[in-house]
Amino acid sequence: MNNDSRRGYKLEVWVTAVCFFIVAVTGGFFSSIVVIMNEVFFNQVPTPENLIAAYGETMFVFKEHLSVWGFPLHYFLLIVLSWIGATVVGAIWCLVMDRLEEKQRA
Amino acid sequence: MEPRGEVFVLGLILSIIVLVISVMISVWARRLTRNLSDYYVAGRSIGAINNGLAMVSLALSLTTFIGLTALIIQGLYVAVAVYASFTAAFIGLMVLAAPYLRRHKSFTTMAFISERYDSKTLRYISVIVMMIVSVLYLAGNLKGIGIVFFFLLGVPEIVGIVVGGLVVTLYVTLGGMYGVTYNQTFQTIVLLFCLMFPVAIVMRTLGASGWVFPPLGYGDMVPQMTEAVPHYFWAMVAHPVVYIAIFLGSFFGIIGLPHFVMRFFTVRDAKEARWSTVICVFLVGLVNTTVYATGFAAVYYMQAEGVDIPTAAYDYVVFILVEALAGDGWLALAVAGSVAAGLSTVSGLLMIMGAGLIHDLYGTMKPEVDDDKKLKLSYGAMFLVGVAVIIFSLDPPEFILEAIMWSFGIAAAGLGVPIVLGIWWKRTNKYGVGAGMVVGTLIAFISWIMIGYMGMDPVDIPFPFFAKYFYGPLGWIKVISVAVPVSFILTIVVSWLTPPPSEDLQRQVDEMHGWPDVDPTRYNGKGLPITIIVLSVVIMWFMTTLYDQFPK
Repeated sequence: MNNDSRRGYKLEVWVTAVCFFIVAVTGGFFSSIVVIMNEVFFNQVPTPENLIAAYGETMFVFKEHLSVWGFPLHYFLLIVLSWIGATVVGAIWCLVMDRLEEKQRA
Repeated sequence: MEPRGEVFVLGLILSIIVLVISVMISVWARRLTRNLSDYYVAGRSIGAINNGLAMVSLALSLTTFIGLTALIIQGLYVAVAVYASFTAAFIGLMVLAAPYLRRHKSFTTMAFISERYDSKTLRYISVIVMMIVSVLYLAGNLKGIGIVFFFLLGVPEIVGIVVGGLVVTLYVTLGGMYGVTYNQTFQTIVLLFCLMFPVAIVMRTLGASGWVFPPLGYGDMVPQMTEAVPHYFWAMVAHPVVYIAIFLGSFFGIIGLPHFVMRFFTVRDAKEARWSTVICVFLVGLVNTTVYATGFAAVYYMQAEGVDIPTAAYDYVVFILVEALAGDGWLALAVAGSVAAGLSTVSGLLMIMGAGLIHDLYGTMKPEVDDDKKLKLSYGAMFLVGVAVIIFSLDPPEFILEAIMWSFGIAAAGLGVPIVLGIWWKRTNKYGVGAGMVVGTLIAFISWIMIGYMGMDPVDIPFPFFAKYFYGPLGWIKVISVAVPVSFILTIVVSWLTPPPSEDLQRQVDEMHGWPDVDPTRYNGKGLPITIIVLSVVIMWFMTTLYDQFPK
């Protein structure tokens, strides 16, 4: 494997790994992070009486100052990152791979 | 929702127009089919835009209209997380598999697995897995068309199933992959138009200031919503590992679902495969976010207007809203859109089932049969599969979305793992893949039989041993966070413990990545397999944590 080939190989592997990591976070792990770091996004309040049986004595409502265009931050990030975010990441990966493919052909 | 007492003429006319145009497209496309390659992979001549649009309608099955909104009403955040993961999963499919599969020049997923690992046995196993996931995926879609006919058009359900089934069988049989592709492209355009416009009208009627763009146009309604339903945006109804299981199921499931993968064998080259996925993910996201808005609108409508929609009618809430807030003309459009959505998914599944049976099963058992005879047999097989599916759809599993989620899990463990490792790790061999495929598939499939088919409580199933942790809302989804990691671990460990694949097989990996030369050190390190094993163990361990902090 010559130097150009090695560089191309590393570029392919690392760009793919980074892009996959980002979409894995936006498309899956992000929600786990929201649940685990709930204090960042939610205030703990007493549960309304009719919901106690399902959710226990206290529940979490989103912090109103953490909102974008009226949406709770965690919800906005989920829908926008998994859609626009994923599309942009995909387009960047495509551009890099297009260039790599041209080099491979050359 | 009560069934209509009379025929909904406008909706019926628009639905029939969709059906007739679908058949006409296929009749036209038949002229393009001259050989087996044309029939199964459209002569590998499809461009990025056409393929991207076709993938959209394949992805947006009838559950987009029937199922997702019901799930949102019952628990917004988890439902949205499922579909957000599904949307982003297309990029996972692209960066891990799509262009590489295209360069491999196989016809189907099963052929790829067989040729990459040089094993007929794996081809037979993968055909079995393909049939399981396809039937599960297919189960509700044709039935859904029948439901749409019955509840919304006033036509008996069986008429909808038989007419919808025959139309789709006819156009798949006649037009092959050309017919399926151009039909799916047409159906995507119908679906986008027939969903976006009626929902925009609904949002305008409810008073959303951003109604012209429903996906993000309801932010100003959030305060009223949280006042009435304080837990509406609550993300903590489920254990964090549920979201990870959703990620595993959607990201590796979509790679394993053969009807998605087959689309990449139809495009001109790897570049077209890449860009078609970007187009697809943008449009799928657009539709999905519109459906989230519809789910929001439904809850808002029930709270604001004091309307009580019974739980049994949640599946039809899109139509209920459109009828109540937009009128019959828009309802007719929404119904036609839902018929198009159902047809497109069924056609893709019929195509892969027919290809699997003739190309991968019959063609492997009888290699001496020439392509002309296979092509003739394909027409017959496709028609028989279609008729069998119609008969099966008369009594499918009840909950469409749940069956589809199971099929994602089985596909991820059974087919997604061998495809990904076959592309990215040269050391993967047939022994490892056999072990991972069989055990991973069995974990997911047996769990489906016990939970999804027999109706057992997930925490009570005797296998796997982790079952006591399958508690809480959507607890059964955690099965995927066992099946997929086990499949990965077994494939890697058994491959390591057995002889490496031949140089010829390893060369395929370099070729798939576009390298003109061969280098044994590429895609052959220890970093990737060790990372996967560590992450797999951590995910399974994670499920056993936080036991007391989430609803049982």
